[in-house]
Amino acid sequence: MRLSPRFSLVAAAGLAAWLGACQLDKDQKPARPVIHFSLSAATQALGEDGQPVIPADVQTNIAGSLAMLFGTPENPQFQLLPEWKDEGFNPNWPAYPVGEDGSGEVDLAGLEADNKVYWRRQLAAIEAGQWGRVFVQDFTPDLREKWNELCAQTPEEARGDDFKKAAAELFTGYYPRLSASAELYRQHCLHCHGPEGGGDGPTAPFLNPRPRDYRHGTFKFTAVGKSVPRRTDLYRILDEGVTGTSMPSFRRFSQAQLHGLIDYVRLLSMRGMVERSLVSTFGEEEMLTSGDVADAYLTVWEKWKKADEKALMFEGEVPLPTPESIARGRELFMDAKAGNCFSCHGPEGRGDGVAAFALDPETGKLKPTYKDDWGNEILPRNLRIGIFRGGRRPIDLYRRIKNGIAGGPMPEAASTLTSDDIWHLVHYVGSISERPQHAHKVASHGDEHGQSSSHGETPASGDGHGTEKH
Amino acid sequence: MRYLFTLLLFLVPALGVWTFVEADRWQLWFPQNVSSFGGEIDRLFNIIMYMVAFTFIVTEVCLAWFVFKYSAKNETKGAFTHGSHKLEMVWTAIPAVALLFIAFIQMRTWADIKFEGNFPKDGEYTREKPIAEVWASQFDWRIRYPGDDGVLGTVDDLERSWEFVVPVDTKIVFNLRTRDVIHSFFVPEFRLKQDALPGHTIPMWFEAKKEGIYDLICAELCGWGHYKMSGRVTVVSKEEFAKRMSEIKAEWFSNGKELGE
Ligand SMILES: [Cu+2]
Repeated sequence: MRLSPRFSLVAAAGLAAWLGACQLDKDQKPARPVIHFSLSAATQALGEDGQPVIPADVQTNIAGSLAMLFGTPENPQFQLLPEWKDEGFNPNWPAYPVGEDGSGEVDLAGLEADNKVYWRRQLAAIEAGQWGRVFVQDFTPDLREKWNELCAQTPEEARGDDFKKAAAELFTGYYPRLSASAELYRQHCLHCHGPEGGGDGPTAPFLNPRPRDYRHGTFKFTAVGKSVPRRTDLYRILDEGVTGTSMPSFRRFSQAQLHGLIDYVRLLSMRGMVERSLVSTFGEEEMLTSGDVADAYLTVWEKWKKADEKALMFEGEVPLPTPESIARGRELFMDAKAGNCFSCHGPEGRGDGVAAFALDPETGKLKPTYKDDWGNEILPRNLRIGIFRGGRRPIDLYRRIKNGIAGGPMPEAASTLTSDDIWHLVHYVGSISERPQHAHKVASHGDEHGQSSSHGETPASGDGHGTEKH
Repeated sequence: MRYLFTLLLFLVPALGVWTFVEADRWQLWFPQNVSSFGGEIDRLFNIIMYMVAFTFIVTEVCLAWFVFKYSAKNETKGAFTHGSHKLEMVWTAIPAVALLFIAFIQMRTWADIKFEGNFPKDGEYTREKPIAEVWASQFDWRIRYPGDDGVLGTVDDLERSWEFVVPVDTKIVFNLRTRDVIHSFFVPEFRLKQDALPGHTIPMWFEAKKEGIYDLICAELCGWGHYKMSGRVTVVSKEEFAKRMSEIKAEWFSNGKELGE
């Protein structure tokens, strides 16, 4: 028996192709489309005459200014203003995280413990001297670069304790550069939030609610009301996710990586704000100067620097719900002059208040009255299902009721309401969203109460109930 | 040529057995087992693996031998046969017995792990008083602890995303739920896997014997983001657990100021 010539030919060709592919794989990185920042649809809008409202040369001017101030997706970078140099403020790595000069916001030493957990496999491999097992993911390109550099400097046989120490420090002290965070953003955030943070990535049309558009500088679930968010607010969103939406928790990444993502989200948000500001300046003055650009950049940065001052805190201990507080909360909820919550959230908190819906004359059906800043139709939250996007903690609800929701129809609480009143409302909302902890008939809904009382009681009180019957 | 083919066919079972023998050394075998019942699962796995291995080796060796013995070189004509009733009985009966054997030996283990009647009754956590509720959703895990009153679904519940903190050497009973589609709670180190079904509250239990950080993986294709639906089960000492719970509680009842949030 011998192999047919045709078979040999095919086999040889297949083998050659396979070897070739292996070789290609080694030499070439897989092709990836290059991503650019583009101007927003609003900036590029056409007027009634079919011509762009903002002339093409001005658009080019704006795009150029933005590229100068914020760099490109491949190489994002804040422009450093001369006056900042004197102040010792550098918005870019490495001075941005809390450094020796105290100019930044992130405590690098505080991230070390988390880095030790996140990179535990790599650190164990370094400790054991198994260099081949030190795997660095492709979304930390800066770390990979440094690791490869370190390896290239020291041949394997010369790697002693000093090398191990230096290698471990690479991982425990890791804080991503903006460009590495941009890479992480491209892999995990861009498909929803879009390259410019416009909330218009390829998967965005399938989502309800739609992903956040960062470019207004408005973020709904923060502690700062209508102001731009603090780093802490953004961190909490990444850490906990937004329940009831498509935004998951990203705690799988290290704290340093999450802070890096915040750096990049802030860059995108500031870029969007500067763009909007330039567009409106052009609308007023019919021209743009380099002074306008610098002004816009500085104004936006000042806002972000001051975000921390705007946070709503509560002095003292968070009060616990009592039956009286819950009952008072219900009164405020139903009082048009106080909370006026029922008008949108409905008398039972089911999100079906009359003010939230209007009759659509065309279809003859009800449709939501309100839209948010981005033009999405907004339904009031159903308070009975226990899903609160901004968080379920008492302080989260307190902030939501007191500050309202930036960019949405939920208003600030009336100034006549005291902080005690707000807490009453928080307790009432809590009481209708969960099984009652206190077996008091506070909400006037017998059916709800009857349904849940058998589960709501602790085993001890259940026993008491039994003996009463006997 | 027939020597070559016979050799190649002999190599299949030989290489197969060799990879299994070497797998542990290359760290390709199971991750360490840290749960109380994981050893049972591994034992069952090994029994089934040895049964399969025996069958595999016997059939592969026969195949190689037949290729050698009945090679076309002999130029004998193949005999035509309608089959053998006896043989068919044998190769139906043997697998049937094997399957029944497997079905019987796993019963005890399955019942211990999955039957509610066999859940821990005397420990700190029971079916009535679970340690937490684990919520799966596209694409993350949220853990809901019952808070001070020990009852889930009340206002003092504490919630934390992604990380399920449990004490070591304690029988942990918890409920598994999902907000949207089917997910699956899988911790390889615990040898524990359970689908989460919409509308169902599924009780589960385990006891971790070793402190550490273990990956919690969604083992049911649940949508485009399934690949990144990971979480973590952190097994800590009892003192550390109390500390972690008080931290979670402090964060929950934070007034925003103390924690600088
Ligand atoms: Cu899943």
